[in-house]
Amino acid sequence: MAEREVPTSEPPAPRSRSPKGKGNSHNLSGWLFTTPMILGLGLFLFIPILMAIWVSVSDWTGRGSPFSSDVGFVGAENYAALLTEEGLSRQDFMISLRNTFYYVLGVVPVQTMLALFLAVVVNQKFLKGRTFFRTAFYFPSVVSSVAISLVFLYLFTGTGAINRVLASVGIVGPNWLQDPRGVIHIIGDAVGIWSIDSPPAALVETSVMSLSIWEWFRGPSIALSAIMIQVIWTTAGTFMLLFLAALQDLPSEVEEAAMVDGANRWQRFRNVTVPHLRPTILLVITLGIIGTWQVFDQMYVMTQGGPAKTTLTPAYLSYVAAFRQQQWGQGAAMAFILFALIFVLTSLQRWVLRDKDEAARKKGIRAQRRAARKAQRAEASS
Amino acid sequence: MPQKSRRTRLGLVLAGSLVLAACGGGGFEEDTGDGSTAPASAEGPVELQMLIASSGDAETAAVQEAVDAWSEETGNSVTVTVASDMNQQLAQGFASGNPADVFYMDAGRFADYAQNGSLYAYADQLEDNDDFYESLRQAFTYDGTQYCAPKDFSSLALVINTASWEAAGLTEADVPTTWDELTEVAQTLTTDDQAGLGIGIGIDRLGAFVVQNGGWWLNEEATEPTAAIPEVEEALGYVQEQVQAGSFQMSNQLDAGWGGEAFGTERAAMTIEGNWIKGAMSNDYPNVEYIVAELPEGPAGKGTLTFTQCWGIAADSDAQAQAVELVRALTTVDQQMAFAEAFGVMPSRTSAADPYREQFPEDAAFIAGGEYGHGPINAPGMEQVVADLNSKLENFEQANLPTVLSEFDTNAAAALGQ
Amino acid sequence: MSTTQPETRQPEATRQLSRTVDDGNRLTRAGRGKKSAVYLVLVFFALLYVFPFFIQVATSFKTNADAVNNPLSLIPDPFTTAAFERLAETDYPTWFRNSVVVTLLVTAGRVFFVSLAGYALARLKFRGREALFTAVLAVLAVPGIVLLIPKFLILNYLGIYNTFPALFVPLLVDAAGVFIMKQFFETIPPSVEEAARIDGAGTFRIFWSVVLPMAKPALITITILSFQGSWNELGHFIIAANDPALFTLTRGVGQLTSGGLGSGSQFPISMAAALLMTIPTAMVFIVFQRFFTQGANVGAEKG
Repeated sequence: MAEREVPTSEPPAPRSRSPKGKGNSHNLSGWLFTTPMILGLGLFLFIPILMAIWVSVSDWTGRGSPFSSDVGFVGAENYAALLTEEGLSRQDFMISLRNTFYYVLGVVPVQTMLALFLAVVVNQKFLKGRTFFRTAFYFPSVVSSVAISLVFLYLFTGTGAINRVLASVGIVGPNWLQDPRGVIHIIGDAVGIWSIDSPPAALVETSVMSLSIWEWFRGPSIALSAIMIQVIWTTAGTFMLLFLAALQDLPSEVEEAAMVDGANRWQRFRNVTVPHLRPTILLVITLGIIGTWQVFDQMYVMTQGGPAKTTLTPAYLSYVAAFRQQQWGQGAAMAFILFALIFVLTSLQRWVLRDKDEAARKKGIRAQRRAARKAQRAEASS
Repeated sequence: MPQKSRRTRLGLVLAGSLVLAACGGGGFEEDTGDGSTAPASAEGPVELQMLIASSGDAETAAVQEAVDAWSEETGNSVTVTVASDMNQQLAQGFASGNPADVFYMDAGRFADYAQNGSLYAYADQLEDNDDFYESLRQAFTYDGTQYCAPKDFSSLALVINTASWEAAGLTEADVPTTWDELTEVAQTLTTDDQAGLGIGIGIDRLGAFVVQNGGWWLNEEATEPTAAIPEVEEALGYVQEQVQAGSFQMSNQLDAGWGGEAFGTERAAMTIEGNWIKGAMSNDYPNVEYIVAELPEGPAGKGTLTFTQCWGIAADSDAQAQAVELVRALTTVDQQMAFAEAFGVMPSRTSAADPYREQFPEDAAFIAGGEYGHGPINAPGMEQVVADLNSKLENFEQANLPTVLSEFDTNAAAALGQ
Repeated sequence: MSTTQPETRQPEATRQLSRTVDDGNRLTRAGRGKKSAVYLVLVFFALLYVFPFFIQVATSFKTNADAVNNPLSLIPDPFTTAAFERLAETDYPTWFRNSVVVTLLVTAGRVFFVSLAGYALARLKFRGREALFTAVLAVLAVPGIVLLIPKFLILNYLGIYNTFPALFVPLLVDAAGVFIMKQFFETIPPSVEEAARIDGAGTFRIFWSVVLPMAKPALITITILSFQGSWNELGHFIIAANDPALFTLTRGVGQLTSGGLGSGSQFPISMAAALLMTIPTAMVFIVFQRFFTQGANVGAEKG
């Protein structure tokens, strides 16, 4: 678990370490200064996680203390119910993983591209009113997701604002948040590969991990797509700022040199800007993956997992299992599986990132310089 | 479940280290055991916590008033808290070991809480327990023990938009009493922008047809699932046929959250809802005139669904005796009539039926349901199974009923077998 | 870190230069067409981003019937403040007060604790420092949402579940803040402290009156992140209490949609509720805009 690279600059500060033997070691004050942090993180992070690990291997039903002698150890039973045993629990968990997979697959690329696009447009040198545009695009991402969800709940009603706008250009909009039909199903139906009303029997009857192949290839439902649109709209602004900061790091000499070479704008964008932004792009994708797999607020406020379970996500399902259905063991087990999943995905991402940085380092990416400095420092102090 | 009672070393080590690390916390209260009939009774005046799921200001005020009267008389004090999310707040309360003393307990969730020992069984201490409707007492019986006193109940009936009815040339004599007649009037009432009958989604509405056809989701003892029997599939098939024909529509097809919204916005000329629709109509849709009739009979006779809550008392409460006293005071005929007047619920006592009918003649169709209505599914572990069934019936027009019902049976069998 | 970050506005000189290149040599018809295209695109997106907020404001002054029938209209007809009056009758004022108090406490606590720890990790040499910092980095990798059940368990265990402290105490420290402050303190030249040390000042005094004042930009960043984090937090407030008197805005308003108002959709009320909870955010945003944009970079860190 290494630190995350920060795409911000930091001038090389003069490092003069106080020489040893001066006797100014701070053992006491060091620990005193960090005591609140240790207490806070230990008491509300580390110990709770240990407690939840116990709950995830227990049969606690949510009454009395989970550490009382009435509560039994059930081994990996809760995990098995979610992963290896046929049944409703595994079915629901798989549905939630499927939904979130499509959700991540849709949100992360689109929000990254939209953010990059907005940043490039806002970064145009001749632009007047840049602050206004930047503010407009960024503001939604500082507003509470609960408030935004309420607004979109209204915009997305069957006869709501969004469908009125669509109607004005001749499109009959769906009843967004109530429509469980999967996008892939709809497309296949429209193209004529299959019919939603009578799906191919081979796909319906073959079941993998408690879900039929037909169900696996449902795609995000219309309802989930509506939430995806909302989330992309909300978060693109944050990532736009990351791209803007990186764009302004782009040495203008490089760009001018390219201009002198007679490269057109698209070529300059492809060959100069994008390589320069590569670390930021990868960072945005990593952060996007971490954020989207955790999606919870929108489900809690807008859909409660419906319609037809097509907006269930692991985070929301874990909450429902524990806090509503009193299946605390399974709820905790889901949380840990989700944790492991995010960890694996981001490690994978970081591995890809590291690979690219070999090339990026030569281009003088400052974050890398800092990492290198840190390595030196670690060596020096050991 | 293997090794259920054995603690392992891991657990001990963990718990031990937690005790050390958490500086001797202990917010969790130890289990006091369930089923003990001797009530825990605190000395002197007690402070009771009451958690209610209120339908609105009227209900909150009425409960508060009744509680205040009791406090005045007995010298105890009661704090009434309105839950905004009853299921979650109850569950968190029980898990914290410090739940409210008295609370609304929904029949649909009752069995789970009874099973895990959260509830105090006090019904046998009520002298006139037999006066409550039999079907309601059944709804709060788990493992042969009735736990709590039904608070009130509601039942489904057919709600008809008078203007649409007259516009379609129908008269009082046309109010449907059989499925065939229902089919017919629904077709007559259906226009381009109004469906004949709008039905809320889920088995809490569709189940009425199942009862009218002599079926139910579980057997009488609630030990085996029975959704695959022909009575269930035929009943749902009848509704599905009408939905496909366009004269019935589910609420989600009408862009409505429930039947009352579809009815109030006049996207449906009739709906099947309970007595709570009265409040919604007068508040949100005061201009829509309507009448209420009993649901039409099915092939197996009359049938409707009843919904009920009881006054639950926590097994962890340390003032159970006082809590039972409070419940006694809240379930007298007079008090139930006062609640009925204030916020439109129906008394759970048979001896209150006649006064109620007298005072609210327009509710005859609803109160009649108390005699033949069927309560909710009453078995532990079924919430997830029912939620799954409901989600598969959301797109009701296209639902593959035989598959859905047999999947319900599989899931329910697994849940009941545990 | 924040001070050293590139200003989001370009240095004037560079801009001048670019303008010369762009406008001077290349001011052609095509260039002008391209500019209009850029403006067109920008205005389109700006509308897309601003319009929902306009609708929100307008709808909060509408009747429910008007809201349902004219969802696109920006002029309430008839104009009514009924939604706000209805909100005032609910627990909304309590939620608002709770949110304000929690946000203030969390922000104050975090700024203090996080800079204390950040300073120690950056500057004080003590046994176990490296290990401690590694632990902080490890904590950064824990996705917040998986902590809902664990946090409930500990609050219960400590006996503070469903009390006011449960709302803010667990939020008082956050690893990302420690990380940001540590990075910042490392950029301050040690010579400053050494001078003070020669004058005989104690460690806390040096920290409090010498180093901390120099860290103002970073402190503002932490303040903004804490404000945003605690004002917008939902998950923690759901699991920390169940007494409506202890609801914050996010929790209370989040449940308006699931039956908190009785039956039926009440769009003007939910828009008004969302609007009122957005106003403090908007105010802080306008006042500290420059720092917000800086904070976003480090804020995004937390995911």
